[in-house]
Amino acid sequence: MKNVILVFSFLCSLSLSAQTISGIVTDAKNNPIVQANVYLEGTYDGGTTNAKGAFSFKTEETGTQNLLVSFVGFETYTMLGDISYMKDLKIQLREDVNSLDTVILSAGTFSAGDNSKVNALKPLDVVTTASALGDFVGALQTLPGTTTVAEDGRLFVRGGEAEETQIFIDGIKVFTPYSPTTNNTPTRGRYSPFLFDGITFSTGGYSAEYGQALSSVLLLNTTGEPDQEKTDIGIMTLGGSLGNTQKWKNNSLSVNASYINLAPYNAVFKSRNDWKKPAEFASGEAVFRQKINNGMLKLYTAFEATNFELTQEDINASEGVHFKLKNNNLYFNGSYKGMLSDSWTLETGMSYTLANDKINIDAADIKDTENSFHGKVKLKHRFNNRFKLNFGAEYLATNFNENYQDTFTPKVAYGFNNNISAAFTEADIFFSRKLALKAGLRIEHSVLFDEVTLSPRVSMAYKTSDKSQVSLAYGDFYQNPNSSILKFEQDLQAQQTSHYILNYQYNGKKQLFRAEAYYKDYDQLVKYDSDFASFDSNYNNKGYGFAKGIDLFWRDSNSIKNVDYWVSYSFLDSERNYQNYSKSAQPNFANTHNLSVVGKYWIDKWKSQVGMSYSLASGRTYTNPNTTGFLDQKTKAYNSLSLNWAYLISPQKILYLSVNNALGFKNVNGYQFANTPDINGNFASRSLRPATDQFFFVGFFWTISEKGNDNQLNNL
Amino acid sequence: MKHLILIVTLLITSIVATAQTKYEQGMYKALDLWKTNPIEASQLFERIAKAEPDNWLPPYYAAETLILDGFSKMQDADALKAQLDQAQNFLNDATAISKDNPEIMVMQAILYTVYVASDGATYGMTLSGKVMALYAQAEKLAPNNPRVVLNKADWNIGGARYFGTDIKPFCKEVERALELFATFKPETEFHPNWGRERAQEIIASCK
Repeated sequence: MKNVILVFSFLCSLSLSAQTISGIVTDAKNNPIVQANVYLEGTYDGGTTNAKGAFSFKTEETGTQNLLVSFVGFETYTMLGDISYMKDLKIQLREDVNSLDTVILSAGTFSAGDNSKVNALKPLDVVTTASALGDFVGALQTLPGTTTVAEDGRLFVRGGEAEETQIFIDGIKVFTPYSPTTNNTPTRGRYSPFLFDGITFSTGGYSAEYGQALSSVLLLNTTGEPDQEKTDIGIMTLGGSLGNTQKWKNNSLSVNASYINLAPYNAVFKSRNDWKKPAEFASGEAVFRQKINNGMLKLYTAFEATNFELTQEDINASEGVHFKLKNNNLYFNGSYKGMLSDSWTLETGMSYTLANDKINIDAADIKDTENSFHGKVKLKHRFNNRFKLNFGAEYLATNFNENYQDTFTPKVAYGFNNNISAAFTEADIFFSRKLALKAGLRIEHSVLFDEVTLSPRVSMAYKTSDKSQVSLAYGDFYQNPNSSILKFEQDLQAQQTSHYILNYQYNGKKQLFRAEAYYKDYDQLVKYDSDFASFDSNYNNKGYGFAKGIDLFWRDSNSIKNVDYWVSYSFLDSERNYQNYSKSAQPNFANTHNLSVVGKYWIDKWKSQVGMSYSLASGRTYTNPNTTGFLDQKTKAYNSLSLNWAYLISPQKILYLSVNNALGFKNVNGYQFANTPDINGNFASRSLRPATDQFFFVGFFWTISEKGNDNQLNNL
Repeated sequence: MKHLILIVTLLITSIVATAQTKYEQGMYKALDLWKTNPIEASQLFERIAKAEPDNWLPPYYAAETLILDGFSKMQDADALKAQLDQAQNFLNDATAISKDNPEIMVMQAILYTVYVASDGATYGMTLSGKVMALYAQAEKLAPNNPRVVLNKADWNIGGARYFGTDIKPFCKEVERALELFATFKPETEFHPNWGRERAQEIIASCK
């Protein structure tokens, strides 16, 4: 009987021996953390903290146990110990620097993706911005820091030339990113905007990973696995496109072909060009993706063939100048990104470009070939959430050959090899959720110049309130002169610039405000002593210059229902003394004021989005030989209002209409002057006007998927 | 003495019984808590998930509680993203335990739907294709799972209403889902068995 009682009481004690675990959970500043999850690992026993951060729960566990405390935005706290000591605990959680409200290293950078916090642009803005006409470069031109050079179409950033902006796909360089056009028609990016789901546009102070760019880098990330198999059909006033995606278990293939011919358009709308053979573009793209263990391999190939022939008006040739171009461009890009372990990531890739041009300008016959290669390896090690280290190496090689022949010159061949090896390392340090630092170093060796350059890059950011932060960035950047110089002269040095950037950013509810002030110091720019860069010019690196300014950006999709709009304003003060400049002057691509307003209004009843974009650019400089000054005259301001309308006929069908320069502003890009004065001693002039003042576009896009349910919503 | 033996055996069996149903007790408690406090319920499901690493149901519910609660947080983009990130982690855990599970796919599709509903301009482009692909995949695996049929039809009705196209074929699918609910037997009482009321609601709105 006694025994029985003993057993009984023992059994009772088993079930009644529950202990209470209690305590309080706070952050580093002793503010209570509400709704934190507190529990013994591997058991059901736990509780949730109340409004005072206090918790208390019972457990039947005994001995040594692991107590865990977790809450979003904080690192999980663990405490290994005997349960009997887990009473009246005071637990302080450490903030997790990976959380959403952590400071962002944002100086100089605009990105487009699905993180609303840091993004000035959304992925679909590329196709829904009225003036962009589906070109990612066109959409970026509505951001501050860019200047409007309407006849060119490339990105001119903060007083830099277009060649100072480099474009990368999946971290690998694109050597020839733009389709060729006539000198009065803006070019477009070669690549379809639908290929990319992340766009980062840096207008200065960028990472040590990127070199050979004095002003800016544009980073494009191709999309990952497609969601399903489909066929895309596009019928446009300018041509058509056809795409197909096939998907298997671990890999997928997307192909896309398009053909554009401006002949019908030119027949209907008057152009200032006298076309013999209107511009014709044929292109094909293929993307293959393969999942490998913890990574993804992407192989991307694009081919484009362009040709046109025309006679362009010229003040020095009454008959005009005959111009004929044939361009073939092949680009291959292969990249792999994967996890080697929990803390190591490998990114590697290579690209190959083969570009052929055949150009005839009156009697001159020019043939050139560019072969370029880029290979890169990058490793990332995450020591912990607060400290990450990147390092890597890359090799860039360009071989350029040109043949020239005209009535007076027998055939001459010339060219160059521009090979560069580089190594870089960069650390990301988060001191707290409020303060972060990125510091890097890049070393480059140019084989051509046998020159070693060292570029430090630093940026830091400090959060001033829940919604605002300030950032600072500094960096040195080097870039070898481009092929128009190197093909004639190789005894030179890399051109150099330093960036100093101060940035303020405010993130409201679906609102973003950015203000950035910068100073850029250019040095070792190439100078020569003739009208054009040529064989017999004398070259040196004694050019210099500066650019300073303020960029403002405001985007708001909250204040007015169904309306999303942004306003960009850039003030730029820039002068340089380079090329054949007789003195320091404001270059003709660097105008002082640029304003861009983009608005989109969604009309639910009509299943339509209507959009407008307006850009205003102050006058650009030119030299008038009838006066004594140099680059001291200015054209009138540039104005353009573009409108678009996208109508969703059904989830699979979309109709798209747009008109550029709807109000028909008569814009002047500059003036051309006669080489010789007339009998009165006057140099005659001619205004440089766009090929067409306005541009109309109508397109119909249809997606057919296996189940008929993938749709054009994706594209709107 | 006999009585005592009886008491002891009863006690022992009751302890064994409680031990067996500790999981059940926890799940009942969490499901009950869900009615009043979804966050605390999710935390209890999370604790159960940690203690039962081979069972996909606790992380599934830990995600579901957060996802459905997400519909009430659509105004605060940051809070919503933080909560759905957490839910995504639970769904990843559930998927790692049970691969090719149509129930988890449906829940994943609903998680994406919350994002799309909260901010179509930002998430519509990337996620609506994924939602449809998930339903297509789930349908291949379980063509007669009532939740697969229902939620796919529900998504399609949303699209059809918007474009003013015929919703009847999808309403028919919901009716089929309702029939499937009548015969659907969950594997255990904790396996997903929700959706009947939603199906009835949709059918009422179809008419």
